[in-house]
Amino acid sequence: MRADGSVRSEPADRPEQTRARYPDETGVIERDGVRVAWERYGDGSPTILLMPTWSIIHSRLWKQQIPDLARRHRVIAFDGRGNGRSARPPTAEAYAEAEFAADALAVMDATSTERAVVITLSMGAQRGLLLASDHADRVAGMVFIGPSLALQPRAPDREAVNEFLEPPVSDEGWAKYNAHSWRRDYRGFLEFFFSQCFSEAHSTKPIEDAVGWGLETDPETLILTELAPGIGDRDAILARCARVTCPVLVIHGGDDRITPHARGEALARATRGRLVTIEGGGHIPNARDPVKVNLAIRDFVGRLERLERLGRSS
Amino acid sequence: MATGPDGVRIAYEVFGTGDPPIVFLPSAPIVHSRQWKGQVPYFSRRHRVVTYDGRGNGRSDRPTEPEAFADDRFVGDLAAVMDDTRTDRAVLVGLCSDGVWRAIRYAVEQPDRVLGIVAFAVGVPRLTPPHPHYVTATAAFEDDAPTHEGWARYNAPFWRHDYPDFARFFFEEITSEPHSTKAIDDAVEWSVGGSVDSMIADARVDFPLDREGVEAICSAVRCPMLIVHGTEDSCQPIARARRLSELTGAPLVEVEGADHMIPGRHPVLANLLIRDFVRSLARDPS
Repeated sequence: MRADGSVRSEPADRPEQTRARYPDETGVIERDGVRVAWERYGDGSPTILLMPTWSIIHSRLWKQQIPDLARRHRVIAFDGRGNGRSARPPTAEAYAEAEFAADALAVMDATSTERAVVITLSMGAQRGLLLASDHADRVAGMVFIGPSLALQPRAPDREAVNEFLEPPVSDEGWAKYNAHSWRRDYRGFLEFFFSQCFSEAHSTKPIEDAVGWGLETDPETLILTELAPGIGDRDAILARCARVTCPVLVIHGGDDRITPHARGEALARATRGRLVTIEGGGHIPNARDPVKVNLAIRDFVGRLERLERLGRSS
Repeated sequence: MATGPDGVRIAYEVFGTGDPPIVFLPSAPIVHSRQWKGQVPYFSRRHRVVTYDGRGNGRSDRPTEPEAFADDRFVGDLAAVMDDTRTDRAVLVGLCSDGVWRAIRYAVEQPDRVLGIVAFAVGVPRLTPPHPHYVTATAAFEDDAPTHEGWARYNAPFWRHDYPDFARFFFEEITSEPHSTKAIDDAVEWSVGGSVDSMIADARVDFPLDREGVEAICSAVRCPMLIVHGTEDSCQPIARARRLSELTGAPLVEVEGADHMIPGRHPVLANLLIRDFVRSLARDPS
């Protein structure tokens, strides 16, 4: 039994891996009865907010950024509702992009964080874009890693083979992206999905990590996230991009099989941001090429700080 | 280039400066000096580091007659590299029989030139029985066997037929930790770039000593030594490391869950162990 009354579908039989750094402070916010768990590491300025991505994984996805960033910055991470130490509310509406954005603001309030550099991965781009466009005063800079924003078409092999809720006609490859398939063989889906996320050679460890985090939630929760309201069509996204006023960094793998590199290019154009391409990189370069990603973030934050100093002196 | 006792040319590299010098011995002819790629950049910051390709691989000559792979020749190559690089005294680091046994022999023959030995995955032939899969495989090494499953790939006709398949099998077998694909790919590449004829010649050499003979040599080591061996080593039995530790009094670090290629697969651990050992030498009043 969990704090919100739900029951884990997978026993927590695996002890958590040891961490390179442990949080200096932890807490929980609650909105509409949904509890969301956050962690704070370090206390340098500016604060960096690590956003949750799709609830298929939780905040340990940032395990290779936190120990590096927290040497210089106050770093806040939280588990997106639906995984980790946060609740699994039982309705699709509870997983709307706007709810994740509201959770982020509530976590910022609870930690007395006026402004932060916001870093997102994949679907986290959607909730991050809501923050940057509707709450520009709270966002000092945006980093989008492998942004999953429908600015460009998906790769052809990712186009739905089956309707998500219909019994699948096939169970091969991307046809596994289906509610029935998830209920029948959730682990099989996770293993396929993360093998696509980590298309680079020598990725067995990040795949194993991600599958383990995926098993901490369950197919019914993940089905709800799939049915939840998003942030609108391409025009709506472009309109939001036009309202982003903070500096933007987009980091995108050159071989991203989940969300094409062209989406990262389009986002950088639409937000007047800088694009860093990880040659040969897959969908989750922060886990697979952490040194490159961390250095790109360091450069970006350093540039922000110089800009802020210039702003104050002029 | 240094020149070995029989005129075989041995290619070496020297990195950095600083005392004491550290010489990394190759596991030849199956791989070459890049096996130490996880160590060279770290140690060359503070030490003069010498690596060399063993005969039969890398940029060294590749003789194909078994005599060229006699024990003495390998020890002679180490001596030639020490001389040619004007390395009077050094810490020796080796892996398996090619590295560990030859370092021990050299230390016994030239005690003034060896400050200490770090012995990974102790391969001292005859010290204890080998793993059973080696006994079976070496007995049938020359046979034209009907199948080549598993360790039956350790076989001269099969090496001529499909050496890359053997190399992949072998390094997967002795690097059994999860998430080892990169270490395996590297080793296979170094191995496939070597010489099958040299490999076969090396495998045909009869080891000249019995157990008493190797124990006498091990017992004669006078320099400090550190022994590091994985509990899951599928190439060299951990009993060999324990016996070497008994014979020499050297401390043994048993790495829980590790297989054979500790410096390649666990470079941070290996480097910290080597570093602490080298530091302990500086503190040693003798």
